[in-house]
This record gives sequence, structure tokens and C-alpha cells, in this order.
Amino acid sequence: MKKYSMIVASVSVLIIAFASCKKSYLAEKPYSSYTPLTLNDSLGFEAAAVGLYNYESTILTYSSAQGWPSVWQVGTDVANATANQQGIEVPYYNYSLLTSQDPAATYIWGKYYALINNANIIIKAVEDPSNTKLTAKGKNMIDAEAKFFRAYAYNSLATLFGKVPLVTAPLAAPKTDFVRAPLDQVNNLIISDLTFASANLSDLNAGTAKLNVQGKPVDRANKYMAMQLLAEAYLRMGKNDLAEQQAQVVISSGKFSLISSRYGVRASGAGDYYSDMFVYGNQRRSQGNSEAIWVIEQENPSSVVGGNTDAAQQRRVWGAAYYNISGMVLCDSLGGRSIARLRLSNWVLYGLYPTGDLRNSQYSIKRRYYINNPTAANYGQQVPFTGPDTLYKICPSITKWGAFDPNDTFGYAMIKDFMMMRLGETYLLLAEAQVKQSKTAEAANTINVLRTRAKAPLVTASQMTLDFVLDERARELIGEENRRMTLMRTGTLVDRALRLNSNDAQHPTAGLAAKNLLLPIPLSEIQLNKDAVLEQNPGY
Amino acid sequence: MKISTFNIGMPKLCIPQKLLLVVKITVLLFFVAVMHVSASSYAQNINLSATNAPLKKLFKEIRKQSGYNFIYTEGMMKDTRPVNIHVSNASIDVILDKVFHDQPLSYTISNNTIVIKEKDNQQTSNAIITITGTVKDEKGEPLPGVTVAVEGIANATSTDYNGKYTIKADGKQTLVFSFIGYKTVKRPINNESLINISLEPAARDLTEVVVVGYGTQKRSDITGAVASVPKSRLSELPVTNVLQALEGAVAGVTITNTSSVPGAVPGSIVRGQNSISAGTGPYVVVDGIPLSKTGGSLNDINPNDIASMEILKDASAVAIYGTNGSNGVILITTKRGNSGKPVIRYSGYAGIENLAHILEPRDPASFIQKYADYLSQTGQTQTSPVPNSSELPNYKAGKTIDWVKEATQQGVMQDHNLSVSGGSPDVKYFISGDYMKQKGVVKGYQYNRVSIRSNLDVNVTNFLTVGMSSFLSNNNYDGGRANLLFATAMSPYGNLYNADGTYTIYPMAPELLYTNPLLGLTTDQVNRSVNLNGNGYAEIKFGGVLKGLKYRVNAGYTYLPTRVDSYSGRLANTPLGSASAASSETTAYTIENLLYYNRDIGKHHFDFTGLYSAQRRRYFTSTASATGFVNDELSFNNIGAGATQTSSSYSDRYALNSQMARVNYSYNSRYLFTVTARRDGSSVFGANTTKYGVFPSAALGWNISQENFLKDSKIVNNLKLRASYGKTGNEAVGIYQTITTDGAVRSPFNGVSTIGVQASNLGNANLHWETTVGTNLGADFSLFNSRINGSVDAYKTRTYGLLLQRGLPLITGYSKVWDNIGKVANKGIEVTLGTKNIDGRDFRWESNIVYAINRNKIVDLYGDGKDDIGNRWFIGKPISVIYDYKMTGVWQTGEDASKQDPGAKPGDLKFADTNGDGKITADDRVIQGQTTPKWTGGITNTFHYKQFNLSIFIQTAQGMLKNNADLNYADESGRRNTPAAIEYWTPSNGNNSFQSLSYTNTRGYGYPRDASYTRIKDVTFSYVVPQVLLDKAHINGLTFYVSGRNLHTFTKWIGWDPENNYSTRGSGDWTNNYPTTRTFVFGANISLK
Repeated sequence: MKKYSMIVASVSVLIIAFASCKKSYLAEKPYSSYTPLTLNDSLGFEAAAVGLYNYESTILTYSSAQGWPSVWQVGTDVANATANQQGIEVPYYNYSLLTSQDPAATYIWGKYYALINNANIIIKAVEDPSNTKLTAKGKNMIDAEAKFFRAYAYNSLATLFGKVPLVTAPLAAPKTDFVRAPLDQVNNLIISDLTFASANLSDLNAGTAKLNVQGKPVDRANKYMAMQLLAEAYLRMGKNDLAEQQAQVVISSGKFSLISSRYGVRASGAGDYYSDMFVYGNQRRSQGNSEAIWVIEQENPSSVVGGNTDAAQQRRVWGAAYYNISGMVLCDSLGGRSIARLRLSNWVLYGLYPTGDLRNSQYSIKRRYYINNPTAANYGQQVPFTGPDTLYKICPSITKWGAFDPNDTFGYAMIKDFMMMRLGETYLLLAEAQVKQSKTAEAANTINVLRTRAKAPLVTASQMTLDFVLDERARELIGEENRRMTLMRTGTLVDRALRLNSNDAQHPTAGLAAKNLLLPIPLSEIQLNKDAVLEQNPGY
Repeated sequence: MKISTFNIGMPKLCIPQKLLLVVKITVLLFFVAVMHVSASSYAQNINLSATNAPLKKLFKEIRKQSGYNFIYTEGMMKDTRPVNIHVSNASIDVILDKVFHDQPLSYTISNNTIVIKEKDNQQTSNAIITITGTVKDEKGEPLPGVTVAVEGIANATSTDYNGKYTIKADGKQTLVFSFIGYKTVKRPINNESLINISLEPAARDLTEVVVVGYGTQKRSDITGAVASVPKSRLSELPVTNVLQALEGAVAGVTITNTSSVPGAVPGSIVRGQNSISAGTGPYVVVDGIPLSKTGGSLNDINPNDIASMEILKDASAVAIYGTNGSNGVILITTKRGNSGKPVIRYSGYAGIENLAHILEPRDPASFIQKYADYLSQTGQTQTSPVPNSSELPNYKAGKTIDWVKEATQQGVMQDHNLSVSGGSPDVKYFISGDYMKQKGVVKGYQYNRVSIRSNLDVNVTNFLTVGMSSFLSNNNYDGGRANLLFATAMSPYGNLYNADGTYTIYPMAPELLYTNPLLGLTTDQVNRSVNLNGNGYAEIKFGGVLKGLKYRVNAGYTYLPTRVDSYSGRLANTPLGSASAASSETTAYTIENLLYYNRDIGKHHFDFTGLYSAQRRRYFTSTASATGFVNDELSFNNIGAGATQTSSSYSDRYALNSQMARVNYSYNSRYLFTVTARRDGSSVFGANTTKYGVFPSAALGWNISQENFLKDSKIVNNLKLRASYGKTGNEAVGIYQTITTDGAVRSPFNGVSTIGVQASNLGNANLHWETTVGTNLGADFSLFNSRINGSVDAYKTRTYGLLLQRGLPLITGYSKVWDNIGKVANKGIEVTLGTKNIDGRDFRWESNIVYAINRNKIVDLYGDGKDDIGNRWFIGKPISVIYDYKMTGVWQTGEDASKQDPGAKPGDLKFADTNGDGKITADDRVIQGQTTPKWTGGITNTFHYKQFNLSIFIQTAQGMLKNNADLNYADESGRRNTPAAIEYWTPSNGNNSFQSLSYTNTRGYGYPRDASYTRIKDVTFSYVVPQVLLDKAHINGLTFYVSGRNLHTFTKWIGWDPENNYSTRGSGDWTNNYPTTRTFVFGANISLK
């Protein structure tokens, strides 16, 4: 029996050992993910700020719907979808299909609200008075960066959707009772965020310094980005004098100058100074692009880890599918492999540019192709225009997105920087503000700055109308600007698209009406927001 | 695959009828046999009820009822015992057997007279001889521990470790061989001194001990739905994963080989899908220690080591596994040693594998024609006979390549297993080593496994037993692989090699969509996983007042390292060279404290099991990779030599803490009750919950055949009714799903990668398990002298608190959040039937039939009664359905499509306007069927003739649809080769089933087609070498067999195989495009003395 009691005793010990399992035994701690609680010092905020740039980049490089860049161009005045369209862009020329279930509208809505949420997380944490890990100045720097992005997102949402729900703090739990805020409230938030940002964001050093005045990389947010965005936002709000003021500050800051001579990695190669600006390696301020105000960088992930956020489709969308022509091989000077999901409108190709305009040189708009396979019988001869060739295989196309990686000839992803804001556009915003205030002489002077640079005929005050400014925007910014948003912001989409580009041979614009000056609020949002009514835009 | 060749099979509805016919014939045969027996005995039946009655009184009563006379002397009556008997409507021989049982008398019947003799007189009149022999199982393996008794007297022995026995008996008597789990054999001695016997497993022997989770039970005492895998499915089959042997062999367990890649683990569902987001695979427990959730897979378990396999199906049986029970539980028990001299066994097979069916690409002439048709259908002018310039020289030279042939090879499969078992009464061991190698049918694919097992049991004292089960498995899936998907796409005029003998990168240059299918062979790929598992136990039996009490501790530890390395270089179209090396480590432990108590009080039997257990798993993985190597020399062996380095790591932890209690009570083995409750706490549940769930169940069983009115029935040998009700859980939530987390991202500034963080997952701290409530009604039966055995189960389950990702307004910054919301219901019927159709001395024929039908439906999703069209989830419909347009044909030349489908051209697919609005819109999509089989079944026919055995297993799965990706290459149909069996519309052929080559399927139609099939799955022919021949060679048992697998498939499916999933270019994983194979192996099982 002694033996038994020994055993019973040891068994009891065992049972007790396990019965006394601590509560922490079942507690979860994620070993490989941060939680919002752990990111409350300067390094944490810095990383959260970098997350904002990453997020904006994913909007540009979205590749799941390869026709994404076309959404913002086709069915306007400047471009049309080709036979190589992908699908997401279809409702943007056949507007009768643009419904509240539109995937592009839903995507952009979701992305900007996610960007807002990320910005709100930072703003709330950094403005928390109990956080003493940062100085007041350090807090303001981070706060300004987050507010710039929040304003950027809200300005885009307001342009695209009009009144939108205003969320200014991060959510801790699911919420399903949003309502659309009056546009004034949205605008006021944008103004106050950008005013704060332009006061607290870093200034730039002169020249090609890699760092800004605060010692951060030069492509992080600077005060001029906030001003330029504010100028555009004021234009949308009709506060043209304030817009003019903001644009003037940027121009007169002396930090930027228009590119007017050859420079950079292709300085001695075939080309001209305007097209030099769009060569990879030349696009950043630190690379000599004195026009650059805001550039989002991309690097080849085979040399820089995390160099791109997704497989950007701009090259494939904008470039001609010349690889489809027998006797043509992929090459650097032709911009790599593209598939021409869109084609510039005939208005742009044949009616927009005056003779001699540098922005229409063969280095900026490629119009002729020559057989480049040395083994081909007709090597060196011009590719003749036959059948569908001009519609997408060798359609004239811009070179701004051309890029070629000899190690990745198929090139699903485009590795190129995104020039989000440059001085050229500042002049156009200024001109628009001046035209809208009937300061036509000043406007003509502003436009002529660009025209001089482009070696194009100068203009006079009598030519100055909003339409002219929008024409000039196309000449200067084709392929760069989000044309749809510009026309929606200025309320000219319906008029210009129908007047200048409504009868494309392949995919004519159809069903475009005034309601399309705003996108539909996504139906899924209305449905999921089950505890309050999210009002739909008229006509959808 | 032409439709015509596949129509050899019956139309699908005929299959069940055919099965039914087999059953009917079998039943009929039995009735004939039974009636024959009845005719030979006396027609008149007798009712007899008496307590403590003297023999003479009974004789009188029997005579009165039957008219039989008894002849005996008074002296014979003096040692007789009084008799208790309660029999109604029984035959005379049943009555006499009972009356003379335990009496010192025997009897013979002659005409209407019963002559009674004294037993002793008989025995002394004959000579006692010594009989020896060997008892073996149906495979010819020696059976130790078989009871050998002389019929009618208390003289018995048992066989030793080599199955040998020695017994003394009268040469005229009969020997009775009995062993648990085997059919008892009676053999008249006939004065022979050497008697060798083979025992047949009793399909549903009531004394069979069944593993039920945390213990065992006699089959007759089980109240839940527990299926045992037939022993015949556990050996002599060329399978690398035991689940492959289960397909169609166990009712209610649906196995699907979605991939035939060597080493692929088949999918398995027990009793229908009852979760949407969580995995549907059952919880696997090996020797009491979970394999699931420790990182291991069934590939780690060598099928040769498996002694038995049980599948727990109903709520009562699985409730003891709590939060892990609702998908069913598979319990595997490995072989253990017996006391005695060592038995050395070798079993092995080797054979060949080939593609079971080839979806042949077009031959060169047809390919050329297709290209011409493509150009004309897309309105292009033809300037070259072949699509690409690089094909032209081959075309002109008439040189073609059979790309499928280039990418495939003859597969070879072999398995060698050596085991030693034995021991003393106090120490028993089983040691096994196995090597399996499979060379795939597609080039570069292979799988090999080395596994070692050691099972040990030691009786330390008379109250303490300790033991262990440990195993090591090394799974090796190495090898760069050929791309069968691209092989089928290649032009027959493409170029396989460059001038220097290397593979071309683009065989159809300048076509860049498809690279050379053999490029993968130039890459280096290492893919290995090891499972090192040590499980130990100690068991203490208490005595004295604590008699019946037993304590057991089980402890298991798993160490599971994996390694995946790869290098792709210049030859494989990676100009910079790219290497990566990943390794992971999983460590898991399980500790279980178990308390058992059982007690008999009169006819009352109590059985208690209590559990307290803890389980934890930690996982860590890291990957290093680099691109930019100077050349391809170093492969992945010096990643530091790559220009651009990336690395990553991940770690997590899982813990489970459980208590369980089970009480079994039975009265007189007739009325059975089981009550269980388990309480599980899991780390994955939300911090706002207690993290604990309680899962109770109750079950009843009634052994009707033990009741007096059935006790002596000749027709019903056994009948048991079962009913159960209970609640089980599904852990379902992934690790860390309840926590709000941020993800790390990178963005470059000034060319330097910079770390950023972003909000990623919105956690829900309220998440808990999915709950399944189920009812099961079942019957086990054995009829006509046990010639028909089987069970029927009907069940109904409802799962609620289903974990679904609920959509959130994007305004929140998040798109979805996990929540416990949906409801799903399952119901079904399962039938298992074993019949002995012919049971002769030399020839025997047995059939084993399983049939299962399951109806699955979504009851609710988000609480608003609305369908989720995006995910194809519809309330009232099965979880996985095909929701699509209904194709009605092809638009023909001259037909006017402009109203119904503006823009449709002749040759485009024609769809039904199901909502009648005159247009084809997304609203015309309808639910067309489910993707899981409506019913599955299998029939095994086994024939034995003397030493020869033939087993034929046919398996079927019916009533499911599947999208057939091969029917649509959209805009690639002019750029690649296509299967010859996939026709296309032309204006002249007016084909109404296939589209034209210009059709690009802008609606995203999925091409759902009937994927039902019936397969001759396994045919095994074996020969057991007679003992007389073996004795001379000192061999104890020898069996040879040939086995063929996947011999023929009857299906309407056009493709490689209806069961496998194939990816298309740019989607999924091309390495899974690996067809079903046909295997032939030759094998031998040898055991040495």
C-alpha cells in the first residue's frame, strides 16, 4: 500500500501541475506583426508615415485590373480604349454601364478611405498629449505629413464623389452608420489640413540635394506639395484668388525651375530636354529634375528590395503593341513591351499641337516604327500602316511611360518614378486661377512661360479661356495628369469629351451625361452601411 | 478523350441500380442457402420455457410438442443438471443444443428418435493424439495468441508468436480456432496430426475492439457512429498516403485526389462540409497523440505501420475532441509487438506508373488547320502557315515534336518495409523501417520517404506499464519539374533545343506567353520535411478498494523541420539568377492525464474516462533569397553571393487546454448509454471571450439481438440500434485573427528601401469556435448466419456561429472583419454492407459495399437572409455550387442574336435568358449544381479460390459539377495548341457544343460540366504460398500479389481526369497540373521464423 500512496501522491502532483495552467497559457501575442500600441515613438511614427507613401503608390501600381490606368483617360477628350482593353475601363467610355457596382469607383473609394484611416491613426496618436516621446516640433512634422495625405485623399474623394462621409479619427470597432458630410465640411478639413501641412512640412534645399531641410529624403513631403494641392483644391472650390496665391508662392519660392536644357542619364543621347524629364534616372529632383515637386520613387526590385509596390501597368497601357509586328523586336529605345490598352484620341494626335511644339517631338510621341530585327528582310524599313496596326500595334503613343529591363523583357511591371506634381503644372494651375478671375493678360503670360520652354507659338490674352487652359494641360501633361479628374474638377468632362472625342472607330464614347461629373457611391458601401443612409449621387 | 470512348460506362443513374441488383442477387442467394438448411432440419418448431427443470421433464415436453421419442437409460440421468431454458418457436436442434449444453451426455437423431449416450464412453473409445500446426491470417501471416480448443471439453491452448500450436485431443474430435477480430473456425481432426488453419477477419465481429478516442470499446458496446477502415484497404495497395486507400471505401468519408503529384495529400471531408472558412479536413490522431495541429501530415505515417484506422463521425463519438471534433476524427493505431520469439517481416512492392489518360493535343495537321481557322474567324489575313516565325523552319522541314511525350516519362514506384516484432510477456516491441520511392510520370517529379518506427510496451511491475511510440519520417519532394501545362500549349513545330543543346527559352518565339515546358528541369529544387515524433505513456492500475481504477499519462513531442530551397538561373529564363532557401521548425507537445475507472455491479457495467490535457505548438520559419548572381555555379549554396538580398521570418504559437469526461453505462450488454462532455480552451479565440467552450453529448444503444425474443433467431444474429445527440466545435479561427495588427511594408527613398507600417488586420476580440449540433440514428446488423453484416446511419447536423468575413463599409478603412455569423446544415445516410455471397470450402466470394449520400446547405450567412453572390454562397443551397450562365448551344450562322445578346457573333456561346427579360445579363446566372458529389460509393468483390485471392474495388462519385478550364483558352486559342478533343465551331461544321476560336468569353463563363465518374480503382490478385512448401525453406508465410490502380474510368468529362484540378496559364499553380496515373505493382509479403 505504501507503493500505491507514493504513486497516488505523484499522480496528484502531476494533475495539479497541469491543472494550474496559467491563464497566459492561452493568451495570444503576435510574434511577427506590430500592433498599433507598439508604434508610439519617433521611429514608429516615421515608419507609419512611410506606410502612407507606400499606400499611395499601390493606387498607382494596381495591377489586378490591368486596365486601371485607362479608367482615368479613356472616354475623355484625350484617349480611347483599344481592342486590347481589359474590362475595368469599359464603363468609362460606355457610360451607360457606369453603375453603382462599378469596380473602379469602388476600388478608388476604398483605397482613399484606407489611406485616410492610416493617416487618422497617425494623427490621433501624435496629437495625443499624453505621448511625450516626441517633441512638439517632431510631432508637428509627422502630423503635417499625415495631414497632407489625408487632405490629398479627401480632395480626390470630393472631386470624384462630391459629398463624402468625413472620418477624422481611426476606428476601434466596426461602424456602419456613416452619412455624407456637406461638401463645405470636407473642404474645410482639406484647407485646414493643408494649411497646417504647408506651415509644418519641410522646406527644400536648393539644387539637387538628396535631403530636405529637415534632413529627410527629398522625395518625402515638402511644403510646396501642400501648397500645390491647396491651389488645386481652391480651384475646385471656386476660391480662385486663394488658388492663385498658393500657386504663386510655389513658383516664386525659387526652389524650382522649368527644364530647358538637356540633362541627366540621356543628356548626350537622341532626344530633347522636355523628354529628358521622363527618362528613368532623370525624374527626381536629386537627379536634376528641377521641375519636380513630388515624385514617388520606384526601384527595380531585383536591385532594391521592396523597390515597387505592385506591377504598375502604365507602360503596357500607354505604349504601342509593336512587338506584335513581324520583324519588330523589343528594345530600349521603343520603351519595352507595351500592349496599347488605350490610344490617344485623334484630337490629341492630329489637332492639339501647333507645329514646332517640343512636347510633340518624336521623342515624346512616337508616330513611326521601323523594322528593327536585323535578320528581317525589310530591316530598317518603316512599318506600313495597315489594318488594326494603327489602332494598337503601332498606334502613335507617348513615350513618358517607356521603360525597358533587359533582364525582364516581358516586363509585366513598369519600373519608373511617378511624377505626381511638377512646376509645369503649377503654371497651369496659376493660369486657370487667373483665367477664372478674368486676368487674361496674366494668364497669357503664365501660359507663355510653358510655351517658350516648349518652343511653341506664344499666346495672347484674347485666347485665354478655361478651355484653352485645359487644352494646354493636355499638351503639357498628357499621360501624366489624371485627365478624368481634371475635367470632373472643372465640370468640363461632358462638353469636352463629346465635342472633341466622341466617335472613336473602336470604342466610341456613349451615354455620357451630366451625372457623370460625379462617380456613383459604391452600392456595396450603401448596403454595408446598414445603420444609416448613405445617399447616392443623382442619376445612379 | 472522345466522348464516345467514355460512354462505355453506364449513364450515371444506372450505377446505383446496378449496385442494387448486386445486393438483390446476393440477398436472394442467401435466402436459398438458408432455406436449404431449414429443409434439412425438422420442420416443427417448439416453445420451451422452464426454470431449474430436470432433464426428464423437458424430454417429456419436447416429445409432446414435436413427436420425437427419446431413448436413454435411467443411469444416464444421475449426473445431469437441471436446465433453465426460455425459447420460443425454435427448431428441435436449437432446443436440443441448449438442453444438452453442459450435460455429460450427447445425442443423435435417427428418424423420429433421439438416442442419448454418455460422453465419456465416446471419448475413451478413441485414441488421443498430439496435433500441431500454424494459424495464419488471411494474408498468410502467422497469428499469435489464437485460442485453439477441443470442442465440447475444457482443453485449450493458444498459438505462439509464430502462430504455432500443439494440443492433445481425440482423433475424432473437432478443434475450434478463435481469435478476436477473426471468424471462428471449427475443424474436425480426422486423426490428422498436422492441421494448419487460415483465419478470416470477421468484418464486424462483435467482440472486435475498436479504438474510440482516449480508449477502446467492444464493437458491440459502441453507441456512436464509428467506422473502421477495412483491413484489406491497409495493405497490398500502392498508396503513399493512407487516405488514398480510403477513397470510396468508408461510408461518409469523401476523399478527393485534387492533385496526383507524387506526395500530394488528398482532400478529405467527413459527412459533408460544415464550415465555410475553416478547413474541412478531419482531426487526425495517431496512437492517441494528435497529428493535426502539430504541423504533421498523413504523409508522415507509413501506411505499412498502421494496424487499424477508425473514423469517428457522429456528435457523440467526436464530442470528446471538443473544438477539433466537428469535421470528424480519424484515429490511427500503429502495430505493436506481441510476446514471443521475434517475427521478421518484409513487405514490399515495385511497379510502374503511366498516365491513366492523356488529353492529347492536336496533331500537326489539325494544329495547322486550327491556326488557319483562327485567322479567318478573327478576320485576319494569313501570311504564314504557322503562328510564329521560329516555327517556320520546322514546318518547312516537316519536323514535329510531341511535347507531352517530351515532358513525361514512365513512372516507377517501389516500397520496401522491414519490421521486427516480438517480446517477452513483460517487454514487447515493434520496430519497422520503410523506404518508398515514386518517380513521377511528368519529368522531374518524384517523392521518396524514409520512415522508421519503434513501438515499445514494458510491464514494469504488475501495476505499472510504460511504453512509447516514436517515429521518424523524412519526406523528400525534391526536383525541378517539367511544366505539363506549357507542354500541352506548345506548337508541334516549336523548337525544343537551341543549337548548343540547351533548352530554348521560348520554343515558339517571338511568342512570349509560353516558355519551354522543360525549363524547370534546369532549376535546382529541394523540398523536404522531417517529422520526428516521440510519444510515451505510463499506466498505473490500482488494486484493492481502488480496483478498476487506472491512471495513464500520455506525452507526445513533435519536432518538424522543413527545408525548401530553389535556384533558377540563365537556362531557366532567369537572366540574373535567383536563389532562395527557406526553413521552418515546428515544435509541439501534447500532455494528457487520463483517469479510467470501470466496475461491474451485477449486470450493471460502468466505465468512466477523465482527461486533463494541454497542447502547444510553436512555429518558426525563415527565408533568405537573393537575385543577381555572377553565374549559375553556386545554386542556392551561397545566397550571400547574390546582389540583392531579401529575407523574411515568421513565428506563431498555438495552445489548447482541455478537460473531458465520459461515462459509459450498460445493463446486461443490452442497454448502452454514453454521456460525454469536453471543455476546451484555445489560444486562438478572442480576448473578450473566456476562450473556453463546452461540448456535451449523449448516446443510447440497444442490442436488440440480446433480448430473449431475438436471442436464438437464426435470421438475426445481431441487431443494435443507436441514437446520439451532441455538440461539437470547430476551432476555425486562424492564429491571431482576433487581434488588430499592422503590417510592415517597404518604400524606396533616394534608392534606399525604407520600412513603413500600415494597418492590416482589424481584429475581432469576440471570435469563438463554430458549433455543430448533430443527431445520429444508426443500426448495426448481422443476418443469416452472419452472411450479411452491415450498418446504416442517418444523421443531421447544424453548424452555427460560422466564421465568415463580414464585409464592412470601406469608409472604415477596412474591407472586412471576421465574425461568427453563418449557419450550415448537413444531413445524410450512410450504408455499409458486407456479404458472403459464396462460402464454399475452396471457393469463396465476398462483397463489401459502401454508400453515402449527403445534403449540404447554407441556412444563413450574415443574419440578413441575403445571398452572397460574390462568394457564390446562397441560402438554402450547398456551400460550393456553380452559379453561372446556362449554356444552351452556339450561335449559328443566320441566327439573329441581336435581340437576346447584341454583339454575339456566330460561333459565340448561346446562353439561356433564364429571367426572361430578353437580354443576357449577369442576372441570368443560375445555380447549376454542386461541386461536391451528391453521393459516393464503393464496392469491393473479393474472390478466394484455394490459395488465390482476387479483389476488385470499384469506386464512384456522382452528382457534382466542375468548371472545365480546358474548354476555353479565350484569346489564347490561336496562340497555343489545344486538346484534340476540344472541338471548335466553324461556319461549316455548325458545332453546337463548342465555341469558335474567336470567342473570348467576356462574360467569364466557367464551363461547368458533369464531373461524375466511376473508377475501377484497385484490382489485387494474390497467392498465398502453401505452408508445406514454406516449411522446408523455414519461411513462416509468403504471399505474392500484383495490384493495379486506376485501371479504368467511366466519365463524361472531357479532360485529363474529372477528379484532378488543373490550373490555366496565369492562375493557380502549374506544378499541380499532374494527371491521374495508372499503376501496376508486383509485391511480396514474407515473414520469417
